Amino acid sequence: MSESKIGISVIVPVGERHADPCELYAEYAAALTALGGPFELIFVLDGPQQDFAAGLRQLLDSGERFVVIGLTRAFGEATAIMAGFAHAQGEVIVTLPAYHQVAGAEVGKLLAALESNDLAIGKRWPRAGGPLERLRRWMFHGLLAWITHIRFNDLACGARAFKRRVLEEIQLYGDQHRFLAVLADRQGFRVSEVELRQSPQDRRRGVYGPREYLRGFIDIFTVFFLVRFTKKPLRFFGMIGVVLFGLGAAWTLWLVVDRLFFAQALADRPALLLSSLLLVLGLQIFALGLLGELIIFTHARGLKDYQVAEVIQFER
Amino acid sequence: MAEAPKLSIIVPFYNEEDNIRRMHAAIAAAVEPIGTSFEMVFVDDGSKDATAALALDIARHDPRVRFVRFRRNYGQTPAMAAGIEHARGEVLITMDGDLQNDPQDIREFLRQIDEGYDIVVGWRFNRQDKLVSRKIPSRIANWLIGKVTGVPIRDNGCSLKAFRASLIKQIPLYSEMHRFIPAMASMAGPRIAEIKVRHHARQFGQSKYGLSRVYKVLLDLMVIKTVASFASRPLVWFSLLALPLAALGCAALGEALWVWHGGARALPLPIAGCGVILLTSAFMLAAGGALGELVYKLGDIREQEFSQLTARRWKQA
Repeated sequence: MSESKIGISVIVPVGERHADPCELYAEYAAALTALGGPFELIFVLDGPQQDFAAGLRQLLDSGERFVVIGLTRAFGEATAIMAGFAHAQGEVIVTLPAYHQVAGAEVGKLLAALESNDLAIGKRWPRAGGPLERLRRWMFHGLLAWITHIRFNDLACGARAFKRRVLEEIQLYGDQHRFLAVLADRQGFRVSEVELRQSPQDRRRGVYGPREYLRGFIDIFTVFFLVRFTKKPLRFFGMIGVVLFGLGAAWTLWLVVDRLFFAQALADRPALLLSSLLLVLGLQIFALGLLGELIIFTHARGLKDYQVAEVIQFER
Repeated sequence: MAEAPKLSIIVPFYNEEDNIRRMHAAIAAAVEPIGTSFEMVFVDDGSKDATAALALDIARHDPRVRFVRFRRNYGQTPAMAAGIEHARGEVLITMDGDLQNDPQDIREFLRQIDEGYDIVVGWRFNRQDKLVSRKIPSRIANWLIGKVTGVPIRDNGCSLKAFRASLIKQIPLYSEMHRFIPAMASMAGPRIAEIKVRHHARQFGQSKYGLSRVYKVLLDLMVIKTVASFASRPLVWFSLLALPLAALGCAALGEALWVWHGGARALPLPIAGCGVILLTSAFMLAAGGALGELVYKLGDIREQEFSQLTARRWKQA
C-alpha cells in the first residue's frame, strides 16, 4: 500500500484540560499538512467545553475544514475517542491531546513507526520534571511492566497512531484510553513506543497531589484485573477464599474444642463472631470466583483467547 | 469458494519448517486413496522460522489447504481451537505437525466415525519416547486425568483424534484443554472409541511439549468439570451450599433466644451474632445462585443442545 493512499484521521478528544483552540489547531494542521497526504481532523467535545467550542466555531466560520462532534455530557476520554472513531474514515487513526503535550511536528515519527507496527504510542523525551516526579513515573510504569510483562514509559501521553483494526477489535470504555497500548499488545498487535519531543507548554504541571496518586493506583488495579483475572477468576478468588475459610475453620474448631473439653462457654467468647465471620467470608469469596468461572464457561465460545491474522485458501 | 469438503484435517504448526512439507505430502498421500473430499487446515501458531512462508507456498499450489495464521504465538489449545473454528468438514481430524502421528491411520479413524462414534482418540501403544522422562509421567497423568474427568482414556496426549464437527464446534475449548477434548466433550455424552495408532520418533525439529504443567491443567480441569456440572442449575447448587449454613445459623440463633428466654439474663451476643452471620451468608449464597441463573440464561451454552448433538432416533427394524 502506498503512503499517499492512506487517509489519516486525527481524533482530538477535548476534555477539561485543553489549550486555546486556535493555537492548537494551527499547530496540528500545520504538522499534518506538512506530511503531504490527505487527512481529516476530528475534534470530539467531551461535554460542553464552551470556550473551546466557541473557538472551533470561529475557525469553522473562517473557512477552516475539520469535523466537530459534540457530546452532550462528559463521557470520558475513552468514549470520546470511540465517538470520534465512529466518524473517522482513514485507515490510520491518530489521537492527539487537546493541549500542548508533544510538539505537533513530531506526528510524522508516529506514522513512520506504523510501517512495521500496528500501534505506536508517544513517549515524551527528553522530559521535564523533578526527581520525585521521575521516581513516581518510574514506579508506576515499573509496576505495570511487572503485571503485563511489557514495558511502557509514558502511558499518559495522548499522542498515538494506530491502524484502523486496532479500535475495531478493542472497545475502549471508562479510563481505558490510557491502556490502549497494553490492551493492543494483549490482543496480539505489534506495539512500539516512539520518542517525541515534549511541548514546552507541557511543563506547567509539576505538582502531583494525592488525587494523581490515587488515580495511578486505581489504574494499576484496573490493569491488574484486566490482565490477570479475566481468564481464570477462581485462581484468584479461590485462593483468597480458601485461605480465609481455612483460618476461620481452624479458629472455630479451636473454640468448639475449648467449649467441649474445657467448659469454656461459647456465650462468653466474642472471638466466635470473628471466627465465623472469617469462615463465611472465605466461602463468599470462593463463591464469587465460581460465579466468575461460570461466566467464562458460558461465554467461552465468544471469548476467544487467540487472534487470527488471516485465513488463506486459494481457489482451484 | 469450492463446496465444503467432508473431511478436515487440522494440523497446528509451531516452528516446524523442516516438517511442514513432509506433513503435507504425507497427508495427501494417505488421504487421497480414501476417496472422500477433504481439506487440510494448517494453523501457524506464530512461528518465528519459515513455517508461515512455507505454508503459504503450499496453499498457493494446493487449493485443498486452508491456511490460518495467528497474529502471534498463543499455544496449542488456541491453535487447535482456531483450526476447529475454521474447518468446514463434517468430520474433523486433529494431528501434530511434527510427523509423530502417521496420516495412514486416518482411514481407520474415519471408519470408526462412520460406525457411529462421535469421537475417536488415538492410543500410541508403541510410543517412541524416552521411558523415564516421558512415558512413565504420562502413564500417571493419564490415570489421574481419567479419575478427575471420569473419561478413562489411555493416551490423552495423543493429538491424533477424530471428531464429528457438529459436536466439537459446540464444546468450549479454553485454557489448556487440547489434550482433554474428550473429557470436555463428555458434557455432551459422546460415544468415544479408542484405537491404536502408529507413533514415530521425532525426526526433525525440537520437541515442545512436556508434562510439567499437568498439575495446573488438572486443577483447571477440576474447576471446569465442577462448573460444567452446575452450569445449568446454579440456583440448586448454590442453595445446597447455603442449606447447611442456614441450618447452623437457625440453630445458633435459636439457642441464643432459648438461653435468653430461660435465664432471663442478657442475650448471649456472640452466639446470636454468629447465627445472624451464618443466616446472612446463606442468603448471599442463594442470591449468588440466582445470579448464576441469569448468567446461564445470557450465556451461549445450552445443555439441551448438547443432548441433541449426540441423541439418535431409534430406527425400526
